[in-house]
Amino acid sequence: MILFPIILLILGIFGAPLFAVIAASAMLGYQQEGIDLMALPIEILGIANMPFLSAIPLFTFAGYLLSESGAPKRLVRITNAILGWMPGGLALVCLAACAFFTAFTGASGVTIIALGAFLYPALRQDGYEENFNLGLITTSGSLGLLFAPSLPLILYGVIAGVSIDNLFRSGILPGLLMLVFLSGYSLWVCKENKRTLKPFSAKELISSLRESIWEIPLPFIVLGGIYSGYFAVSEAAAVTALYVLIVEVLILREIKIRSLARIMSDSMILVGGVLIILAVSLASTNYMIDTGVPEKLLSYITEVVSDKNHFLVLLLLFLLILGAILDIFSAIVLVVPIIIPIAVQYGINEIHLGIIFLAAMQLGYLTPPVGLNLFIASYRFKKPILDVYKATFPFLVILFITVIIITFLPSLSLVLLPD
Amino acid sequence: MLERIKKWSISIENTILAILFCLMIFLAISQIILRIFFSSGFVWADELIKFLVLWISLIASISAVSSDRHLRIDLVSHFIPKDYFPFIRIVIDLFSSIICGLVSWQAYRFLRLSIEFQETVLVNIPAWIIYLVLPFAFLVMSYRFFLSFCHQIFKIYKLKKL
Repeated sequence: MILFPIILLILGIFGAPLFAVIAASAMLGYQQEGIDLMALPIEILGIANMPFLSAIPLFTFAGYLLSESGAPKRLVRITNAILGWMPGGLALVCLAACAFFTAFTGASGVTIIALGAFLYPALRQDGYEENFNLGLITTSGSLGLLFAPSLPLILYGVIAGVSIDNLFRSGILPGLLMLVFLSGYSLWVCKENKRTLKPFSAKELISSLRESIWEIPLPFIVLGGIYSGYFAVSEAAAVTALYVLIVEVLILREIKIRSLARIMSDSMILVGGVLIILAVSLASTNYMIDTGVPEKLLSYITEVVSDKNHFLVLLLLFLLILGAILDIFSAIVLVVPIIIPIAVQYGINEIHLGIIFLAAMQLGYLTPPVGLNLFIASYRFKKPILDVYKATFPFLVILFITVIIITFLPSLSLVLLPD
Repeated sequence: MLERIKKWSISIENTILAILFCLMIFLAISQIILRIFFSSGFVWADELIKFLVLWISLIASISAVSSDRHLRIDLVSHFIPKDYFPFIRIVIDLFSSIICGLVSWQAYRFLRLSIEFQETVLVNIPAWIIYLVLPFAFLVMSYRFFLSFCHQIFKIYKLKKL
């Protein structure tokens, strides 16, 4: 009987769709416990009972629409007007613009494609070193995961059943920490590069702001609306989707109505891929919880691990390995329900756990051998994958340091929460 | 012939997804307007939005099969020679097809039960109309995986010939 789970595991590793593997394992579990297999479709219907879930398709669509419009270009122009005058300024532009963009588009690799396409040649043109550029862009592609309204944050909130508003608050400082560390490193590496420095120009700043006049209200609507409690997350998502739709299609006319259906279905395929895994894993995790897997795991872990810090070290190791093989969405869906009860036993705050989880998963995008961003960058910039590994490594080390700080300094994540 | 069916069904899926999505934006926005300006709203609208998410997820999953965008652990494909891909895909596609078929069958049983009990949702709509998407989506996915399975066999056959 041990044979079947092993076969499923092998199928999963060899690339079977995760939802099929999870559905199979759930049905296998039901079979062994003598539960009618009809329970599986009933559990799948459970996603129709999850609050705020509509935020995920709505934000994803808005992000796809933005990335196909001229918004990425305008965003880079503004950041360049603000930061471009410093030595190494363009590197900072890259980090800041990508972080902002990823927060809005949800870390599905679109950032590297949408922003990298013109940041990469721009960096080269300004005399930045090739390897540095490659590493910087690859790393920037997943920066901003911790900033609202990123999809992984929302998904974690839905699954863990914690307040998404609070998650949005607690991601701010850890996200900034990553940004500051990477900026510091970039400035240090590029301090010699003064080749094409232009002085700060107020005129350029104003003109770039004017060009983006329609997009500038967006972060205020979303973040202001959510942080003030005026909008629920799903409402903010609906407003964002409608606003972006009106601005990019009707006012700026950068996206033709004809291509709208393609963008909709394109973005919904990503959503479907994530939510179907969520749906079937509702069945498998409920089964695991019913049969007491978390308790067994907990009693096993408490035998080996005595204190909180020891547990956090192990958790971090586990998440790094997990992030290297699983995408962030599947990882959240599959692992969060199991580790929350265990982490809570060790006195770890659920919100802090979410930030640790996402921060560690962000490293997973860059961890060889299979980090997603490494492959997207290798493909997009036509570089051998080994070159991308090498170029990204210093950035990976820096991010790793920030993840350690985020993990062992809970107040960084929790200080901005209301009492 | 099969190609034409595929092309048609993909554009039907895209249209359905676009319609469902637009409906979702429309409902969500009207709920906000009702809440802010009239401090009211329809109870059924929130429920309907949730069902729309379910429908979108499942129909998009069908599209994800044909465009090969289902999430998977992408560990092996980077390290083994391309010629072996079809052999792995045969096993994987057949497995996925069987599993989807099985889920579809169970969902069908559940659907019949729901009809029998005359379960209703959204004030007074028979629940089976909403649940219909479950057996349907998994059946189509099962079919799509099976097509892909046949396609891989064909590929291997061609490789052998060379």
